[in-house]
Amino acid sequence: MSTGNLSRLDPEEVARAVTEFINTTIMARTRPVRPDDDLELAGLDSMALLKVLLFIEAHYGFWMPDEDLVTDNIRTARAFAAYICRRSA
Amino acid sequence: MSTPRVRRLPLRGADLVLVAMQALWKREGVSNNTLMVVQCDGPLDPERIRRALDRFLDVCPWPSARLRRRRPWGQLHWAAGARAALAIPPVRHQRLGSPEALHAELEAELNHAIDPRREAPLRLAILDGASEAAGPQSVLVVTWFHPLMDPRGGQNLLAHLAHVDETDGRAPWGGAPPVFVTEPDPRPLKVRGRLGRSSQRYMRTLVPEAPVSPGTGLTAPGRVRFEQASFVGDDHSLGGVRSTREIVWRLALVGRTMADLWRRRGLPDLPFLVPVSVDLRPKGEPGATFGNVLAFHFARFRPSETADVDRLARALRGQMTDALRDGQLDANAVAMEFLKYRPLSLMLRDLPGTAARETFSFNCADLADFPPALEKLFGRRVVNAYHAPSVLPRPGIGVFFNRCGIKNNLVVSWVEGATTLEEGRRIIEAVREGMGWRTAR
Repeated sequence: MSTGNLSRLDPEEVARAVTEFINTTIMARTRPVRPDDDLELAGLDSMALLKVLLFIEAHYGFWMPDEDLVTDNIRTARAFAAYICRRSA
Repeated sequence: MSTPRVRRLPLRGADLVLVAMQALWKREGVSNNTLMVVQCDGPLDPERIRRALDRFLDVCPWPSARLRRRRPWGQLHWAAGARAALAIPPVRHQRLGSPEALHAELEAELNHAIDPRREAPLRLAILDGASEAAGPQSVLVVTWFHPLMDPRGGQNLLAHLAHVDETDGRAPWGGAPPVFVTEPDPRPLKVRGRLGRSSQRYMRTLVPEAPVSPGTGLTAPGRVRFEQASFVGDDHSLGGVRSTREIVWRLALVGRTMADLWRRRGLPDLPFLVPVSVDLRPKGEPGATFGNVLAFHFARFRPSETADVDRLARALRGQMTDALRDGQLDANAVAMEFLKYRPLSLMLRDLPGTAARETFSFNCADLADFPPALEKLFGRRVVNAYHAPSVLPRPGIGVFFNRCGIKNNLVVSWVEGATTLEEGRRIIEAVREGMGWRTAR
């Protein structure tokens, strides 16, 4: 994904991309998550969280700082997407 | 049931590291046991557990396998004969009079080293009646040779046995058993070779010199001891979500307690080198049972950097992020697979201090949460469950976290001579205070 035109990010599309990343690299094939699933309940641990942060860095061009790693921003793939879109606006 | 004459399961990755680390202490005969202790709300029936094990062997032979290496340069593997030749691992039943007697029995389990070349790599014990106040209780103790499986694997085995028990008289798993081991890495040898070499180069740069530990200088190690305590209290955020739940925060806190120990012992301010195990199983399902499905990250920090736990946790998170970004966790997992081509004495040569048997400064791990699916076991409710791994004479001490329901368990294992019960208790209290936990009733 290009990191240009970040201000035009579509939250739905970003949620889909984050969900797809989580499902292809972190979750078991038989246990995919959906955009609104609680990621901690789905089994994501601190290492998995770091993987998501690295995905965001690679695809959207910024690192989520520690102070932004609050539940509202990382509970679900959609919460990540909302944060990414806010940061990119 | 028709099965091949001999079935073989190669030891892989972290299994081999665990075998090699014990081999450093071959002459001293140290234990490589690990324990899972499951407290139940009523007496367990040993016959029911034997029956579940017997039926489990119909689909999976590894609890009764033996460790083999056909030639000194051959592959270490688990070997199991045809089904008819497999004996059920021992299930011992004993009544005990007090919590102190129970603890002594658990420490005896930890020290009575399993020799997997001559006996089954795991054994079970049911220890009854240790708590006068709580009524008739049973404690199920699963003891295994650590290279057989990791803590999550131990829990998976228990879940499988519980399932077999519940489906007594019917085909378990509807006749389609789950996969009990992981598949080999499908990537081409050339790719894996490149990753393995990258890991070797990385490991040689980790610390400038061999680490020291409480076990440094210990030549006649005593028994492995452990102390366990249960606490309640929520994980809380300190400048980041779930901070106290994160392994880096816990490691930083344990690092601070170790720095206190270092000061009391007059140990030098050399960088700590601490392996942080990372579970490689995909999330959301139990995954493999046999084999230590782990990669290692190596945390480095000085005792003098531990005063500010939050700051240190951020630094450790940064190290872990860098390792992940540089592909070093994947490379570590791949590199460990290549250990099968090395004799035991050379497996750990990439670590800076193994020539002097110095491996790490201390052990610290957040072991698997006990799964809610195991709330009931062999007809009894699980009250609490924790893991107590043995530690080697060097580093001589390890701190282990796990959670069962609302209980946060903390276990400190140590080797007599490396440190003491008093130090173990001091560490537990310092970690409790740092975590903001209260003693569980």
